[in-house]
Amino acid sequence: MAAAARALRVLPCALHVPSATRQLHTTPACLKTRAARVRAGKGDKMVTYEQAHPPHYIGHRKGWLSLHTGNLCGEAGAAQRALEDAFVRRFLYGTFPGLLADEVVLKRRGNLLVVCALLGRALPPHKLYFLQGYAETLLGHLYKCPVRLELQTVPARVPYKYL
Amino acid sequence: MAAGWLWRRLCQGSAFPVSYASRIMQKQYLLPSSNLMGARLAGSHGDTQEPKTNPLVSISDEPETLYKRLSILVKGHDKAVLDSYEYFAVLAAKELGISIEKVDKPPKTIERFTVLKSVHIYKKHRVQYEMRTHYMCLELKYLTGSTAAVYLEYVQRNLPEGVAMEVKKTKIEKIPEHIQKPVWDTLPQVEETEIKS
Repeated sequence: MAAAARALRVLPCALHVPSATRQLHTTPACLKTRAARVRAGKGDKMVTYEQAHPPHYIGHRKGWLSLHTGNLCGEAGAAQRALEDAFVRRFLYGTFPGLLADEVVLKRRGNLLVVCALLGRALPPHKLYFLQGYAETLLGHLYKCPVRLELQTVPARVPYKYL
Repeated sequence: MAAGWLWRRLCQGSAFPVSYASRIMQKQYLLPSSNLMGARLAGSHGDTQEPKTNPLVSISDEPETLYKRLSILVKGHDKAVLDSYEYFAVLAAKELGISIEKVDKPPKTIERFTVLKSVHIYKKHRVQYEMRTHYMCLELKYLTGSTAAVYLEYVQRNLPEGVAMEVKKTKIEKIPEHIQKPVWDTLPQVEETEIKS
């Protein structure tokens, strides 16, 4: 045991060398990014899977909400698609007031625009069918392309977390 | 005379069963019945004499264009989507009997840009965005024009959303007539004269 203690003293101890310590960098309060993030609260706010994940998880834990070729390398039309997407989302938010359970997914296949929406069950089916036809016809006439609305009803919003 | 008797019998008798063949006989001139009956029956029941023509297939006399290579470059943001599309395209090519030269996956390109985080001042704090484009190149060899048209139409109709495709075709053409033979064979023979200096 004494021999072991002497051996330990002989070994170079790198623990107390000043240059080997780690520096901790702290960010000041104004630098926090707030983009597409739901801040933690008391625990009563229900948050869906889509809302709970910040944007750096797109491609890893999240999928894309709008699928088109405008943002690919060597392809054009990104700005027009973005504007159309924004308009279509606002239009649907107004056409189905209080019914949208989650974000609307837009897919573009050639000329066809497919809109996939999740709705709650507050309205009877015949009214939903009317609103679907109305939205399809109006968007088709506005954008001069065939528009298909694929609706699915869910009993309630699906919670992922409570923040 | 026998024809007239047969005709009267057919018109009168309801007991005589009027078959399809006999109706034809009434309209046309009456010949010895047995031969005509056999021929008519054979013609009416099946079209085995005429070859079946599919209305979707068109046959033209012009020669087929031949493609040495058909290069399909597919671009997308999601690598999983491109992998599944590659499986689909390769399977479709194998089913149609098209030989695949190679399936190449070029490295992804990332387009990044940096913008200021704040609306006003705070130059030191910026945000960076990036757009990743994954590629998949499928090269098929030795196709005819119609095969290429069919394959491309099928594969393009099933292109997923958010995926772009670029097609390059390498055509094989006959060498034009004016360069088929080397020039020095066609020039007239020039006699060499010795130059005496």
